[in-house]
Amino acid sequence: MTAIENKLVQTDVLIIGGGPAGMWSAKRLKELDENLGIIIVDKGGKWGGQMTISGGDFDAVLPGEDVSDWVKDLIYYYDGLCEQDIVEKLFSLSYDRMVEYQELGCTFLRKKDGSLKGVPQRGLDHVKLYPAQYKGRGGEEMFKNLSSAIYKKGVKRIGRIMITNLLKDGDKIAGAVGFDIRSGEFYIFEAKTVILCCGNSGWKPSYGKNLATGECLKMAFEAGAELRNFEFTKVWNVPKLFSWEGQTTLMPLGARFVNKHGEAFMDKYSPVLGANTDPHYITIAMAKEALAGNAPIYFDISKIKEEDVVLIKPQIGWQLMNHEKLCALGIDFFKDNTEWNPQLNELLAGIVTDINGATCVPGLYAAGRSRSIDPGVYIGGFALSTTSTTGYLAAEAAYAYMQGLSQTPKANHDQIDQYKNGIYFWLDNGGIAPKDVMRKIQQIVFPYDVSILKTEESLSKALTRLENINKDFIGRMGASDPHYLMKVWETAATSFITELYLKASLERKESRAGHYRDDYPNRSENGLYWLHVKKNANGEAKMYKKAVPLDTYKYPITRYYGDNFKF
Amino acid sequence: MITKIDQEKCKGCGVCIDICPADIIRFNENKKAYIAYNDDCMTCYLCERNCVHQAIFVHPFKELLPDCF
Repeated sequence: MTAIENKLVQTDVLIIGGGPAGMWSAKRLKELDENLGIIIVDKGGKWGGQMTISGGDFDAVLPGEDVSDWVKDLIYYYDGLCEQDIVEKLFSLSYDRMVEYQELGCTFLRKKDGSLKGVPQRGLDHVKLYPAQYKGRGGEEMFKNLSSAIYKKGVKRIGRIMITNLLKDGDKIAGAVGFDIRSGEFYIFEAKTVILCCGNSGWKPSYGKNLATGECLKMAFEAGAELRNFEFTKVWNVPKLFSWEGQTTLMPLGARFVNKHGEAFMDKYSPVLGANTDPHYITIAMAKEALAGNAPIYFDISKIKEEDVVLIKPQIGWQLMNHEKLCALGIDFFKDNTEWNPQLNELLAGIVTDINGATCVPGLYAAGRSRSIDPGVYIGGFALSTTSTTGYLAAEAAYAYMQGLSQTPKANHDQIDQYKNGIYFWLDNGGIAPKDVMRKIQQIVFPYDVSILKTEESLSKALTRLENINKDFIGRMGASDPHYLMKVWETAATSFITELYLKASLERKESRAGHYRDDYPNRSENGLYWLHVKKNANGEAKMYKKAVPLDTYKYPITRYYGDNFKF
Repeated sequence: MITKIDQEKCKGCGVCIDICPADIIRFNENKKAYIAYNDDCMTCYLCERNCVHQAIFVHPFKELLPDCF
């Protein structure tokens, strides 16, 4: 273990996570000072993160529109759990970022008159997304243009590095440590400031989300950052056998789910919105249908108008290849009704920050999905929009922080040695394969009564099972090489977030936004709050309620999106 | 999921090894790409699309996971 050499990397700014939020942070920092040393470190090998397979849809408040209308839409959509000042700020920056994407060479779908083609979202009055011009290549086009721009500006990227711990000097952030997932080399990054841009965390649900587990939240927690929103997940409805991108565009255009009798069941659960709503509500209905014996569930696109097919048919890129391969197997998405299931996709917990992305740890910032803005209900295009705006803001805040530093923070050797020992402890110890432990955790959280129709009984049972896994397996995992060492760290982090998911889901005894309790199906009238988590003096996770400051917010809550449903 | 790398067609350029986001592909002792860690393939097709020698085949079906119902 001590034979493993240390590789020291010094920089002004360390950005952890090389997806859109990380790249936007780097872009803005280079605009503020072209001489800044900026390093993006990422588990993946190439630029872009999961941006490469995203659809490329983007939410923006266009000139002439009123930002406050969009904010009011989200207050309603989030059942009141909306940081009004933050959402207002992000939306106010959205159009400028969309313009920048276009200046970089990205193209969005336009109507015959040349104006942008917007697709309204989730039955909301104002919020809409703007699709990429070419269905199948939007995210790829964005990542190529954005990464090319920051590469030219001298931003450096180091790939295949698993960051495990943040370094501190007193209360200030001082960098991070991790290891090369191929060579096993130990990396020490010394930095004046760190921006966390690691995306969401989750349970490796196969499509698109197998990379970010819970390591970002775990390391932020251990460094003293405040976390929140562990009770909210994205349970996506997905084809049973394969992946398909673009549901958020399909639903507003007339796609719908039908049960085995051919009934468009969402009309029953929400006569107002029908199928044009968030997957969170659709998956609740799917579960209810399955329990009533009405499964399997099929996706029906026969109601989509011919002129709208251009919006949904893959024209290029991986989506076209996927479509062609499925057709070769006799599955034509545009002719056959395909079977779909709910799938626990990712956890929407995140790091608590101020409006600009500053955490409570001096020098530590968060951007993109590492912040938690939406409480489990999602609008298409929101991730690409908010990764750009939060990345931009975090860069400005981190830059201002660095200007005020009198000296560069520096972690001590004991701290670094302790983290190094903690990493390599798992290597070559003959322990249990992490994949087997990850599968046990998936078996706990994927069933509908833990992921969708939550109850006191099902959550408590799940928590007991997880505690047994933690006791019997987590500490006994092992890795035969650095690749599997990464998997060990990912699995341990997934256990960490799963425990908090179950505890927060137990704690919120009501149904609101993306959290549904089958034993508490209504909203509670006893105050509106977020559930925050912070490390206490004993190093344990302390969960507590943080009231939504309605008295200082601009807009009152006048209606609730959840009132559109009866389950 | 990635199911095959044709050892005859592979020229050992390493593009797929660099591009795989999940670190699934590595060189074998013959300097040819092979599926080293078939754990977390996300069926993103990046390897197959970027293989100019058409040596890689990704099946469109994803990994089977524990059931929801």
